[in-house]
Amino acid sequence: MPNRVTNAGYGDRTPFLTATASAALRAEIDKQLDQQVLEWYANVPEAAHLEGKNVDSAYYKRHLIETAWRIRLLRVAEAKALVEIAKRSPEAAQVWANYEQEEMLHDELFIADLEKVGVSREQFLDTEPYLSTKLLSGYFSYLLDHEGPLGVVAYSYLVEYVNVKLEPKKLQALKESVGESNIGGQINHSHTDINDDHPGEVWAAVRHLLRSEDDIAAFKRYLREHQRILAQYFEELYLDTIAGAEKQPA
Amino acid sequence: MTLKKLTVLPTGTEILLPAGSPLTEVEYETPERLIPFGCRSGSCGACVIEVLEGSGHLGEPDPDELDFLEDLGRTGGSHRLACQCRLRGDATVRVADDI
Repeated sequence: MPNRVTNAGYGDRTPFLTATASAALRAEIDKQLDQQVLEWYANVPEAAHLEGKNVDSAYYKRHLIETAWRIRLLRVAEAKALVEIAKRSPEAAQVWANYEQEEMLHDELFIADLEKVGVSREQFLDTEPYLSTKLLSGYFSYLLDHEGPLGVVAYSYLVEYVNVKLEPKKLQALKESVGESNIGGQINHSHTDINDDHPGEVWAAVRHLLRSEDDIAAFKRYLREHQRILAQYFEELYLDTIAGAEKQPA
Repeated sequence: MTLKKLTVLPTGTEILLPAGSPLTEVEYETPERLIPFGCRSGSCGACVIEVLEGSGHLGEPDPDELDFLEDLGRTGGSHRLACQCRLRGDATVRVADDI
């Protein structure tokens, strides 16, 4: 009688990519992301707003609110992703579990910074997330139901890569505009991403989930799709805060 | 991309890995089970190795790793948990079972 057990992460555990091929692909992916960053700055309204000298208060506060909500919503989907990853690759699941353990409560860092600028925890909880934030969470659910966990992990690679690359510049600017004592949570969050090499951690999971050339092509598409959804969020944020204020009668 | 060489005794198998690769990559580079990895998180002790050459090329052990190696009776400074090492330069190691 055949063994009916499936989805246990057994079988051939040899990764599709050798260590050398994995490093080469990561360099190629990072080039793609560098290009995506250029497109981001060129096309997203007020993309560099938080890197400027004059930060709009409403924009800043709402961005922290949405960031905390995004972490709260996505950690649910990312926990579900762990189940799907474990079915495919226990090696990737171990890496992903460790990454999630480090990220799980980071919403509190942003909520702490909100309180520093006068937004209480109660006000945060009373603020419903933007539609674009909900849609990102919904996209994760779609991916897990119909395409697998690779797309969810791809989001984390995009975010971690960009954070490590751009966050120090943004935080330096916020020290001047908002005040260093008011952005301690965001500084601590950046420390974790950089000191724990979160891009490297996420890539270690990606490497075990890539099983074919089609997976590699899909991974590259996921990176572009996530950026499009994040751009929708930044547009919604801009329209609701800076653009909205500009339309107010004098 | 810079490649570094890891030599695993007693077989003398030589493996080239990108600089900075975790030693757990050894498992995927050859069908032989050269290093018996277990938890891969520094807590089971299955992958103890003796570093014969290039001890400075495997990264610094953190206090938890040093404490655990002491618990395992591997004192003297030449032992490491392979799962906690990254290959930053050429090195030669021997798995603990063969020491």
